[in-house]
Amino acid sequence: MSRFQAGSLSTKSVVDLTPLPADIPKVEEVGATSAPLKSAAFFIGAYCKPYNEDFMLCKNENRDPAHCLKEGRRVTRCAQDLLTKMQQNCMEQFAAHYECLERNNQEYYLCRKPERKLNACMFEKLGLTKTIPGGGSQGQQVHELSNPIYKAMQK
Amino acid sequence: MPPAGGFEPIKYKRNLPTRGPGAYVILGGVTAICAFGFYRLGKGNLEKRELEREKVWARIHLVPLLMAEGDRDTYRRRAAAVEREREIMKNVPGWQVGKSVYSNPKYEQTSIVVL
Repeated sequence: MSRFQAGSLSTKSVVDLTPLPADIPKVEEVGATSAPLKSAAFFIGAYCKPYNEDFMLCKNENRDPAHCLKEGRRVTRCAQDLLTKMQQNCMEQFAAHYECLERNNQEYYLCRKPERKLNACMFEKLGLTKTIPGGGSQGQQVHELSNPIYKAMQK
Repeated sequence: MPPAGGFEPIKYKRNLPTRGPGAYVILGGVTAICAFGFYRLGKGNLEKRELEREKVWARIHLVPLLMAEGDRDTYRRRAAAVEREREIMKNVPGWQVGKSVYSNPKYEQTSIVVL
């Protein structure tokens, strides 16, 4: 006959609220959810390229989290800077695109219409373009196809 | 006796009305439709590959941002754990706080959290 026995280990989830050590400079976290981040991903890649590459090269040197804190803060500040600029300049198109992504399983190909508007606005106001690296022999950009085969059923 | 004006001519010709397009037309039509379908399929496969690449690159662009955030959190919790360890082991002479059990300078993720 079996009887419930309390385990020797606690099953409560542990939340460690200790703040960062005081000698580490403070940085606000980005705090954006997945759809706005996905909407802004290519612009983050274009705008923050030097910081991102610096951080990844640093991580390649050493995987210790303590090793790349400085580069990591730069990456976060750059992303915040870009998101603030997007909000100031293209908030309407940005919101339309990420809400479309939220409704469509976060698939880019179902949201080409708001995406084109956002890309146009970003190029006009901030001079950033969405470029997918690589792209086959012709360097084709799938988001610029005029008559794609995979598209939303309803226009 | 024959009827007046003679007998009408005997109907001996076969009566075969045309019955739609011929065999070669149907064969050709089916072949053409299949060829167009396979062409679209091939184009669609190439496009699907490109869509997948777009998705992958979006994630690649976000990796440094998310990793930086995760690193700060890991570092914060590790520092707190080391502080706890220092407090617990303060009466043990010769105890090195936060020392790895492996004699390897490579970074190792901690698998045990001292509460």
